[in-house]
Amino acid sequence: MDASTRTKSRSKKPQYSRFTQQELPAWKPILTPKWIITSFVIIAILFTPAGLLCLWASERVVEIIDRYDDDCLPDSYSTDPDSFIQSNNTNKTCVRTLKVPRKMTAPIFIYYQLDNFYQNHRRYVKSRSDKQLRDPDEADETEDCKPINGNDDGPIVPCGLVAWSLFNDTYKFFKGNKAIDIDKKDIAWESDKKYKFGSNVYPKNFQNWELIGGGALDESKPLSEQEDLIVWMKTAALPTFRKLYGKINTDLEANETITVVIQNNYNTYVFGGEKKVALSTANWIGGKNDFFGISFLTIGGVCFFVAINFILLYVLKPRPLGDPSYLSWNRNQGAQ
Amino acid sequence: MSLDDAQIVNVNNPQQLSSPDSTLQRQVLDLGSKRSRDSERYSSISMSHREINDGDARLVHVNDALKTNERFEFAGNSIKTAKYSLFSFLPRNLFEQFHRVAYIYFLIIAILNQLPQLAVFGRGASILPLSFVLLVTAVKDAYEDWRRHRSDRIENNRMASVLVSDRFQQKKWKDIQVGEIIRFSADDTIPCDTVLLSTSDPTGVAYIQTINLDGESNLKTRYAKQETLCKTPEKDVINGFIKCEKPNRNIYGFMATMEIDGKHLSLGPSNIVLRGCVLKNTNWAVGVAVYCGRETKAMLNSSGAPSKRSRLETRMNREIILLSVFLVALCMAVSVCAGVWLKRHENELEVLQFYRKKDYSEPEVDNYNYSGIGMEIFFTFLMSVIVFQIMIPISLYISMELVRVGQAYFMIRDNKMYDETSNSRFQCRALNINEDLGQIKYVFSDKTGTLTENKMEFKYASIFGVDYSGEKTNFEGEQRGYCIQVNGQVWRPKMKVEVDKELLQLSKDGNNSEAGKHIYDFFLALAACNTIVPIVVDTPDPAEKLVDYQGESPDEQALVYAAAAYGFMLMERTSGHIVIDIQGERQRFNVLGMHEFDSDRKRMSVILGFPDGSVKVIVKGADNSMFNIIDKTSKLDATEGHLQSYSSIGLRTLVVGMRELGVPEFERWQSSYETASTAVMGRVALLRKVAINLENNLEIVGASAIEDRLQKGVPEAIESLRKADMKVWVLTGDKQETAISIGYSSRLLTSNMHQVVINSNSKMSSKTSLEDALITCRNFLVPGGSVALIIDGTSLVYILDDTELEEQLFELASNCAVVLCCRVAPLQKAGIVALIKKRTDDMTLAIGDGANDVSMIQMADVGIGISGQEGRQAVMASDFAMGQFRFLVPLLLVHGHWNYHRMGYMILYNFYRNAVFVLVLFWYVLFTGFTLTTAITEWSSVLYSILYTSAPTIVVAILDKDSSRRSLMAYPQLYGAGQRHESYNSTLFWLTIADTLWQSIVVFYVPLFAYWKSDIDGSSLGDLWTLAVVFLVNIHLAMDVIRWTWVSHASIWGSIIATCICVIVIDVIPVLPGYWAIFDLASKGSFWVCLLGMQIAAVVPRFGVKMFIQHCKPSDIQIAREADKFGSSMELARQEIELNPSRR
Repeated sequence: MDASTRTKSRSKKPQYSRFTQQELPAWKPILTPKWIITSFVIIAILFTPAGLLCLWASERVVEIIDRYDDDCLPDSYSTDPDSFIQSNNTNKTCVRTLKVPRKMTAPIFIYYQLDNFYQNHRRYVKSRSDKQLRDPDEADETEDCKPINGNDDGPIVPCGLVAWSLFNDTYKFFKGNKAIDIDKKDIAWESDKKYKFGSNVYPKNFQNWELIGGGALDESKPLSEQEDLIVWMKTAALPTFRKLYGKINTDLEANETITVVIQNNYNTYVFGGEKKVALSTANWIGGKNDFFGISFLTIGGVCFFVAINFILLYVLKPRPLGDPSYLSWNRNQGAQ
Repeated sequence: MSLDDAQIVNVNNPQQLSSPDSTLQRQVLDLGSKRSRDSERYSSISMSHREINDGDARLVHVNDALKTNERFEFAGNSIKTAKYSLFSFLPRNLFEQFHRVAYIYFLIIAILNQLPQLAVFGRGASILPLSFVLLVTAVKDAYEDWRRHRSDRIENNRMASVLVSDRFQQKKWKDIQVGEIIRFSADDTIPCDTVLLSTSDPTGVAYIQTINLDGESNLKTRYAKQETLCKTPEKDVINGFIKCEKPNRNIYGFMATMEIDGKHLSLGPSNIVLRGCVLKNTNWAVGVAVYCGRETKAMLNSSGAPSKRSRLETRMNREIILLSVFLVALCMAVSVCAGVWLKRHENELEVLQFYRKKDYSEPEVDNYNYSGIGMEIFFTFLMSVIVFQIMIPISLYISMELVRVGQAYFMIRDNKMYDETSNSRFQCRALNINEDLGQIKYVFSDKTGTLTENKMEFKYASIFGVDYSGEKTNFEGEQRGYCIQVNGQVWRPKMKVEVDKELLQLSKDGNNSEAGKHIYDFFLALAACNTIVPIVVDTPDPAEKLVDYQGESPDEQALVYAAAAYGFMLMERTSGHIVIDIQGERQRFNVLGMHEFDSDRKRMSVILGFPDGSVKVIVKGADNSMFNIIDKTSKLDATEGHLQSYSSIGLRTLVVGMRELGVPEFERWQSSYETASTAVMGRVALLRKVAINLENNLEIVGASAIEDRLQKGVPEAIESLRKADMKVWVLTGDKQETAISIGYSSRLLTSNMHQVVINSNSKMSSKTSLEDALITCRNFLVPGGSVALIIDGTSLVYILDDTELEEQLFELASNCAVVLCCRVAPLQKAGIVALIKKRTDDMTLAIGDGANDVSMIQMADVGIGISGQEGRQAVMASDFAMGQFRFLVPLLLVHGHWNYHRMGYMILYNFYRNAVFVLVLFWYVLFTGFTLTTAITEWSSVLYSILYTSAPTIVVAILDKDSSRRSLMAYPQLYGAGQRHESYNSTLFWLTIADTLWQSIVVFYVPLFAYWKSDIDGSSLGDLWTLAVVFLVNIHLAMDVIRWTWVSHASIWGSIIATCICVIVIDVIPVLPGYWAIFDLASKGSFWVCLLGMQIAAVVPRFGVKMFIQHCKPSDIQIAREADKFGSSMELARQEIELNPSRR
């Protein structure tokens, strides 16, 4: 019959393939007690020494922190810090002495640390113009910078709150009477200097108003060389942050006394923030931070504990894998 | 007419003699459902006496389209299935797309983001996701619509021959109007619904094929009215009008009256041919258009099946509401904190370096972007909604659609659900309830055609009290069955029948013996007493022809084929006679009259004039109706015994009786028959009366037993379903004995079941029997005992009418292992499904193959159509369609289970995935002065759910299998996981949320403490969080993947790599603030230490808890998986199962 031949030739039978039949070769891991215990033990074995390693690394970092905002405020202004900091006539120089607890090997990083300063505030973060920073032709791209975008003299370069609030305390370090050289080169990212801040963009109209947010800029230096600005404009992630001020390329011996001469210009009094200066060495883990070590040790310890519990569980209450008597319908039957 | 001309089918029109009314009725019955007597019983309420209200009618003036369409109320014949035009596409398509609530949410957020006060994201980033989704959908819709446009154009420009000023002219389909007269030739497709006026057949018969309409391939007969037959439209003026009902979608119903030349005629479904049908075996036909274009029944039916909503999705929406509450809570928390912060710093805002409230650039110092604390709180709230928007996982809806398409792809392509016999694949007609297949608790099944093949086969005969149920021989291969010679050609029946050797020998011997005489009568009766039309079809061999018996009733077909196999071959049926080849000798019998089957009498009869001049009435019918009118003899008692044994093995039985009519009686009958058939009023009742008067004092001829074979694998399938703790209910139109016997043979009923039977004729008796049954049921509710409820349609009529009784029935039925409903009408089937659906939360599934199952299929949560013998009505209404009942097992136990598990897991995972990201954003907001800064770049926020994490969840939800097909088939009980909602429930939801909270805390606070007081910038930390979250959610998924194929490897590790690439790409664009951040970050050891540490810390609790549960409270699936992997214990399991066969 032609009907039957037609159906034969036009069979709709699905083509067999391992894919369409959902029979692709597959790895079907089942975690047996052995595997579970092994994996917990392995984590414990890996994390405990790793934690110790981190602690050790962190311990080797030498760090000196000095909070100076309150101490550098003359007693007469203690009730009115704003008038002290806003005035041009007050002496803002402040001298601090620091003791080196252990030997610090170069390079030693100098940071300033601000507390409670929301560099991640939405109003603040958005208030910049990356186009303007790169290209002198786009100096007018100041839409995002409002209200610090420009005046009758033209646009402000660099515009926006971020640049406007540039940190302007300065530090000088002395060992005895001898000044310690501070290397202020290469404190900003290479990539920023090359591509983000133009070498032919010069500050214009910057800090020209009565309300001054922070440091001024040298109008003769292109932005790409204003490394303090570049560092400042890499807005911090968290409200307590450090920024690199410079590097000391000589070792500091243990128990040496260092004098820091601070120009206390930057206003943190208005928001109850803190200012600190920090000297720190660095290694692979970064700065001093015990958190990694402690948390790794905790993970290792917890995993070890869990592994022991699982071993006990398997010994005290074993269950053969794939034992059908544990199937719900067989269990119920047993109950009857 | 000679036999040589029989190629063109010449068929007697038995209805010619009978009245138009009974013609109508016959057609109603036959169309409703060929095989199921159930629909006949209930649809037989005579329609002919109902009048059409003038208000509900349309008036069609025959051959006067102008007058008909005077008031422009009828549609033209042009059709438009396309939805859009070039101009309306954009607005309409967008309008339709925005019907989804999710998109509106999307849109509102995108719009909010455009307000300068609230601009959290850049323009591009905020619009991208929505426009992407809209574009993809629009392109898909545009393509589909273009294809519809094309097919519309082809359809509308087809040509038809239309009567224009007394001549038939070619006219495009789209120009046809209601009232015009159209002429069709053989093999023409009918352009609109037309009432037949005349045909090439002198008796006004036209054969049509309705395959386009309902998929039924056998020919159906339609009739032109005698009053219009003789008219030739070109010459005679046809004056008249047709009053018919308003357009409706019932393709099996039509009610109209025609007034022609002052005569009043009633029209029924047998007088109308519908758009899409094809004229066959008829040279020409002429008809008048009554419904055109979109008002035709075919077009009204072309809308898809009503969409159902998956149970899982409904439950999911509850959790979505919870998530919205969380979202609002988060936003409230942020805005309240922001308010407090502003209040506390109110005096400092002007001088704060990072706030700068006042704008000094203008002479008038004004607030810059600050509108008071109240407004700031409000803006903060809206902004936090924008930032946290993906807490409501919009991508989930799109993922679910993709996943369902993927799952459907695998179901359709499953070799194990391909039916060889009908060459049909599994069909997914509804794409949104795949996962419901994994939670079915009740299965409602039709019997005939669903459990059985609906291929009737003549099995046994009891002839004049002698039982011929000996051994059967299949003649195929030996003699190729019975055949006859016609003009040098060999004619043989199309279907071979197994024959009983002894009976064959006796029938060959003919009238020589006493037994032979009875056998002669019996087979003659089988060949004559029916409405079968023999159609001769060609074979590749020119010397051979096949006789195909076409008819509406498969039982009659089986009987005629059987008669042919025993040498009584029906060759020709014309208006007044039939020709039967009896053992090689051609004989002609006059058909003097015929009384149609009706549901009151449950029998039919023919009055046959024999070649020797004698006249006999032959009656065929159901046993209980026949025993009353057959003379009681010992032969009858013997036959009754045989019938009982036949029906006890599940055979369908019919009894044949015969009586010779004397001349006076014949004349008396003839005159009353003619009066009745020409009566104007109450024709049907009159004819029935005439029939009842004639059909009495019969002599028993014999009884036939027809087997409706169970489909392959049905008992095993039912056993599997029952093991899977599904309740299988069989709803059938068959009589009780047959239903029970099928119940036994399909292993639905077992010998150790106690049967409770309810057959009541009144409300009161229904009530008492229900109460009795409940008591019995309780007594048997001891372990090991089970009860089967058998209830008939009449009792159900009373029970379903009364809420109290309904409640009792539900209580009874839910305690019974098996419920068998016999003699139920289509609507009752739906009523029973509704009874369960209303009272429980359990999922219901209905499976059926016929038009009578449509209501039940639509009522149930999941409707399955069997694409078998019975046409396509059930398939059209169904959500899924397949070829065989046994495919239900792989469909539910394997695919349903997988789909449910996959979908449940995917939903929970999507909640987790989005919430963990939102929470990381939220924690950060607490450290930014509550100002909704995001460390994570806006592009990463947008790409997170689109690109970074979307592929793995979709791939896993399509491909992962929590258990192998082998285990799922071997232990049907594993299906219980879906019934118990094991993959998605509130406990799991809350556990997931708790886990999410922990993981987000780890991801956020580990870097926070690690980088506190450090010189890290926002973008670097943002990159760290982005990578950490993406790694974490992918590792989380990887932990839950059960089968690792190369696809899952590729998608999971691929997304991680893709994320890294994206983060790098974003960080090499110099204008973005995070320029080079990732490189600086990755060059430091702390980054890697941090990343590793937080992944482990985040995942350990989940891992530990999961392993603990796996060990102490293993799920069935878990054990099956273990057994599957560690093969040796698998064997052990087998033995165990065999030793302890599970109860129920």
